[in-house]
Amino acid sequence: MKKIFFFILFCYFVNPIFSQEDSQTAKFSTLPSVDIKTLDGKNFNTKDIDNEGKPIIISLWATWCRPCIEELTAIAELYDDWVEETGVKLYAISVDDSKTASRVVPFVNGRAWEYEVLQDVNSDFKRAMNVVDIPYLCVLNEKREIVWQHTSYAPGNENEIYEVVKKISNK
Amino acid sequence: MKRQLLFLWQILFLALLLIPSLTKGQSTIGRGKISGDFSFSGMYYLPDSLINATEAEEKVRANTYLNLLYTNANFSVGARYEFYLFPLIDFEQIGYKGQGITYFFADYKNDFLQVTAGSFYEQFGNGFTLRAYEDRALGIDNSLYGARVKVTPYSGINIKAIWGIQRKNFDFNFMDRKDFVRGGDMEVVFDEIFPKMSERGFSTSVGGSFVSKYENPKDVTLKLPANVGVWSLRFLFRYKGFRIESEYANKINDPNLGNGFIYKNGEALFITTSYSQKGLGVSLSFIRTDNMDFRSQRNTPNTTPLLQINNMPSINHQYTYALLGNYSFVSQPNGEIGLQLQANYNIPKKTKIGGKYGTDLTIHYSRLHDIDKQFVAASDSLGSLKGTDGYTSHFLKFGKNLLYQDIGFEMSRRLNSHWKLGLEYNFLTYNLHLLQGEADTNLFKGHHAGVEVQYKINSRHALRLDAQHLYSKQDMGSWLHLLIEYSISPHWFFSVADAWNYGNSQKEKKIHYFNVAATYIIKTTRISLQYGKTREGILCSGGVCRTVPASYGVGLSVITSF
Repeated sequence: MKKIFFFILFCYFVNPIFSQEDSQTAKFSTLPSVDIKTLDGKNFNTKDIDNEGKPIIISLWATWCRPCIEELTAIAELYDDWVEETGVKLYAISVDDSKTASRVVPFVNGRAWEYEVLQDVNSDFKRAMNVVDIPYLCVLNEKREIVWQHTSYAPGNENEIYEVVKKISNK
Repeated sequence: MKRQLLFLWQILFLALLLIPSLTKGQSTIGRGKISGDFSFSGMYYLPDSLINATEAEEKVRANTYLNLLYTNANFSVGARYEFYLFPLIDFEQIGYKGQGITYFFADYKNDFLQVTAGSFYEQFGNGFTLRAYEDRALGIDNSLYGARVKVTPYSGINIKAIWGIQRKNFDFNFMDRKDFVRGGDMEVVFDEIFPKMSERGFSTSVGGSFVSKYENPKDVTLKLPANVGVWSLRFLFRYKGFRIESEYANKINDPNLGNGFIYKNGEALFITTSYSQKGLGVSLSFIRTDNMDFRSQRNTPNTTPLLQINNMPSINHQYTYALLGNYSFVSQPNGEIGLQLQANYNIPKKTKIGGKYGTDLTIHYSRLHDIDKQFVAASDSLGSLKGTDGYTSHFLKFGKNLLYQDIGFEMSRRLNSHWKLGLEYNFLTYNLHLLQGEADTNLFKGHHAGVEVQYKINSRHALRLDAQHLYSKQDMGSWLHLLIEYSISPHWFFSVADAWNYGNSQKEKKIHYFNVAATYIIKTTRISLQYGKTREGILCSGGVCRTVPASYGVGLSVITSF
């Protein structure tokens, strides 16, 4: 059984390497389709992440992750200006599990963040994005393709993120 | 029965695998996408008897795995190869040792239906009945190997059904296993069905699940149940800034090693309520769990997360301070009752108290006890409760033993474009005897205070100083911890840290745990080299946090995703 599986799997992985067609679509990847939740408990499919052709930032974070909070706080200080100048929208997807998931809403409000916050309680989206450690952040262009991504946070990273966002918005 | 199911499963699996080749054209876009991630974390261990670093025959050890994922429109296949033949010492200790393809699946998903065959992770509600999950840094992988179907017949109604055999480290003999798990979950989100509710500020959803485990009941002394079931009901209600969520679960008789083979039913109740508006969030949670440890095999010791089908959340504050790592509370599914209160407040920016950039404040309090237990008469002279109902328990009564308590205050504020300041104070009480099995029955009491200063030299260079002090008269006594980190955005981190156990009552144990590390990051690749002594606990550096054991040596880690 396993052998059959891996033979077929191998064919899938080898196939695109020798294929010439659609080389353009392969340049950037798009978001996977994973069901996560909004803060109201509604279902939300990650392929519906949208900002009407304007740039999108996605951050994977958790309430217990200090560098994640540092990064989102640093962006929060600049966010008003970023939105005004580029129309960017930030989706902050929390991977808090049942231990802390119910504290995400008061946490986000308590920090006065104006992000679009979603909850990935069993890390399904994180897994589908092949993210090993958080903080993870990516920027999507007008076609919702991932054009830039980064893991971990160092003070000043927000400047580079904004350069990428501006480039997309000026296109 | 099981063979027939496995046969059906194989047909399903092959059918899913062949979907993309059969439906060429409309539903496949291009040639699909390959993505993946790779992680290597290795260590060269040096001996150090003072810090209790485990001496191992193999000095060079590493955890390595590779995930590959192929996605094409609605279809995806994936696999993970793990190489843990000579794993890091703490992984060896929990039996996470071996190599092989530990995870592979084929999945088809559209707006109405999702079918998965192979390995999968899944959670019902808060995880009281089922939580198949992974935490690679901790060596937890409770994935199920079988099949899953999710159906959304109408927007707002979600139904899930699962059947599978749970992963047990590197034991791949699924055909010989005498146990499997099956279950279902249904959730109705009313404001998705009636969108007008949301417009008026209401959200309501209800859900319920049932999970049953089958295990061969062979036993010489006891008449054991072949099937053990857990059911639960839950709801969420929100009106504007006010929210209340709750879940109740009940487990039907499940004699197992962890509960001493008693036949008492298990139950759990979790309530959390919060109020928040922009700049303020307050939450209050209550939990009570009783005999809720639920595993695929009844003879699994309850000291490891191995074969755990459900997962009871711990509601205490999640600390990331290096010095408090040894006193992290782990949830007690077989008996805990407690409360947690947390408030977050943002003093608005451009105000007199809030300053130019605003100030974030957090206060939190939690208290957890064991539950009240009135034991039934012992069934034999040794006082063993095996085979009886064990005990009765008053539902809302706190047990007489305090397990854990935290009270804390945290503040962070940017002073100007260069300086940022964080302050915290925490008081922790921890029951070492009941939580870590130590002989000392005195409660650990620790005062923890910390200052974090960040100085941004320019737009790319920054310096961070983190100083922490833990004052205690119990256990290992007082500690001082200093960390200096220099970062050059976006690629480099350099850090030097020292944790000094200056207050240890034994003179030779007043040890310096020093650590130097350099990390290079490019896009989603992170390479990190580290040298030093590490005490058991959670270590955060280079922008990420992970759990580490007591060790001394040189470590290299390479993590990348593509």
